[in-house]
Amino acid sequence: MRIVIAEDDSLLREGLALLLRAESLDVVATTDGPEAFLAAVDEHKPDVAIVDVRMPPTHTDEGITAAVEARRRQPELAVLVLSAYVEQAFATELLSGGAARLGYLLKERVGRVEEFLSALHRVADGGTAIDPEVVGQLLTRTRPDAALNRLSPRERDVLALMAEGLGNTAIAERLFVTEGAVHKHIRNIFSKLDLPPDDRADRRVTAVLRYLEDTQRRA
Amino acid sequence: MREALEHLVGGLGTAVLAFVAALWLILVAAGCLVGVGLLFVPTALRLQRFAADRERARLSRWGNEIVGPGPAPARWRDAIRDPSVRREWRWLAWHATFGFAVGILGITLPLNAVRDGTFPLWWKLLPPADATSSLGYPVITDWVGAFGVWALGVAWIALAVGFGPALARWQARPGRRLLTLPADVDLSLRVAELTATRAAALDAHATELRRIERSLHDGTQNRLVAVTVLLGAARRALTRDPAGAEQILGRAQDAAEQALAELRTVARGILPPVLTDRGLEGALDGLAAASAVPVRIDVDVPGRCAASVEATAYFVVAEALTNVSKHSGAAHATVTVRRRNDRLTIVIGDDGHGGADEDGGSGLTGIRRRVDALDGTVTLTSPPGGPTTLTVELPCGS
Repeated sequence: MRIVIAEDDSLLREGLALLLRAESLDVVATTDGPEAFLAAVDEHKPDVAIVDVRMPPTHTDEGITAAVEARRRQPELAVLVLSAYVEQAFATELLSGGAARLGYLLKERVGRVEEFLSALHRVADGGTAIDPEVVGQLLTRTRPDAALNRLSPRERDVLALMAEGLGNTAIAERLFVTEGAVHKHIRNIFSKLDLPPDDRADRRVTAVLRYLEDTQRRA
Repeated sequence: MREALEHLVGGLGTAVLAFVAALWLILVAAGCLVGVGLLFVPTALRLQRFAADRERARLSRWGNEIVGPGPAPARWRDAIRDPSVRREWRWLAWHATFGFAVGILGITLPLNAVRDGTFPLWWKLLPPADATSSLGYPVITDWVGAFGVWALGVAWIALAVGFGPALARWQARPGRRLLTLPADVDLSLRVAELTATRAAALDAHATELRRIERSLHDGTQNRLVAVTVLLGAARRALTRDPAGAEQILGRAQDAAEQALAELRTVARGILPPVLTDRGLEGALDGLAAASAVPVRIDVDVPGRCAASVEATAYFVVAEALTNVSKHSGAAHATVTVRRRNDRLTIVIGDDGHGGADEDGGSGLTGIRRRVDALDGTVTLTSPPGGPTTLTVELPCGS
């Protein structure tokens, strides 16, 4: 897996590179700003880009803009965005073109190396990785009378993990239940939310996010 | 006594100004009868407002703040209808005559005291016919008389000490009564001014919060994330490569220490702890000790000001001293801080080559922003060749 890193904080940039190289991953370039990042993407044609949201010159959303631009130039590029805090607008902008090969994580998740690496691999393999915090905010911001309230607490847990991009097996492991139980919950969720059942991961996430965005817009 | 004399002399100054303004008004009014005066109406009204505003400022420094009505009207018709202008006319009449006389009396008393108090020392030198007390009589011919005049000098001193403050109050009375705004006057200008400064304060506050947010997110948080990343890497390396893990742990510790240092900087930027521990004077002494250019600090501030005012004063001095050592080429700098009634005045001077420019992207913009937020004023004089003086006035807010 060939990786390009865009992170303006040198200590963090080197830390990330060190971590990934120690896992025998191929970090082909580390960059400190949007322009250098796009140049590196053009030059190295990486599989995955890890991008910080706040970068020079204004330290607002340069990373998002750069990630969107990189995807435009190289549509098969997987992008994992790291953010200092949850910003709904960033997630929405990033996911507006579809959730496949995309990730949006809080920076501190990187320290949980196993989870970070599994998110990285999931994104590189065409899946999605959304930070639990982002999902949580989406869930709590929905209106009290939203259809979501028809879900049982356990179904909400399953939905949240689905929204993070986990597959059925992983969800079953996290919740200490059987895969069959997870299947049953997901069927219930889809029927309660009036969504046609489908097991494919990216369509599930897209569906979940679309539903959540919709309820958020109405709220 | 010294204070009363200061007030009387200041009052005499505004009395002369009032006299000139009144004279000019009368001349212009007379000129209006023959037509040519109309051209001078705006200047006459402006001069009147100028004199009144000087008196307002003088009285505000000394007691309750007197708020003026703003710019003067430009036409007779508006002026005659404006109650505050009419009240100023009454004040002009009072202050130009009564205020002037009281002022003269106020400075004559101490002068007479000096003259008569020292009379025995030099009366022999006078031509015999001119040897009188300061009253002009009687003519003194012997030492008994000379010491009589000396006793009169003592009496002058007693009068000056006893009546000086009362004279100063008398002189100020017409101004205090007539220059304040009547209760029903239109305060929209004052409201607009306060709204603008309040908006500026909120704006500066927001900018400040943004600065703090940014240094926390982009500085401290990044350091801590780096710590967790390195710790995560170290844990993974622990079994595979213990020596490498040890090295990574060392880097993690460095990053944690950097995070602490940044946190300290951010916290100090919000409210320097030294202010709480040692007060403004102690805090400024600390700044002076750390300055590359030798600084003489002179702080005379009884009591404490509001925390935000002290923090701003501290920031202003810190920023100004940084400027002095970076740009001025000065050999010495002075910092003087005084509290007068409800205003804190900070004067930072240096003997450098001057030419400081507020648009030069120096710390002056930051100083002005923070001072504006507290409704204070910044004055910079820095002619080419120096010296440079930065004067900042802040309302104490306590």
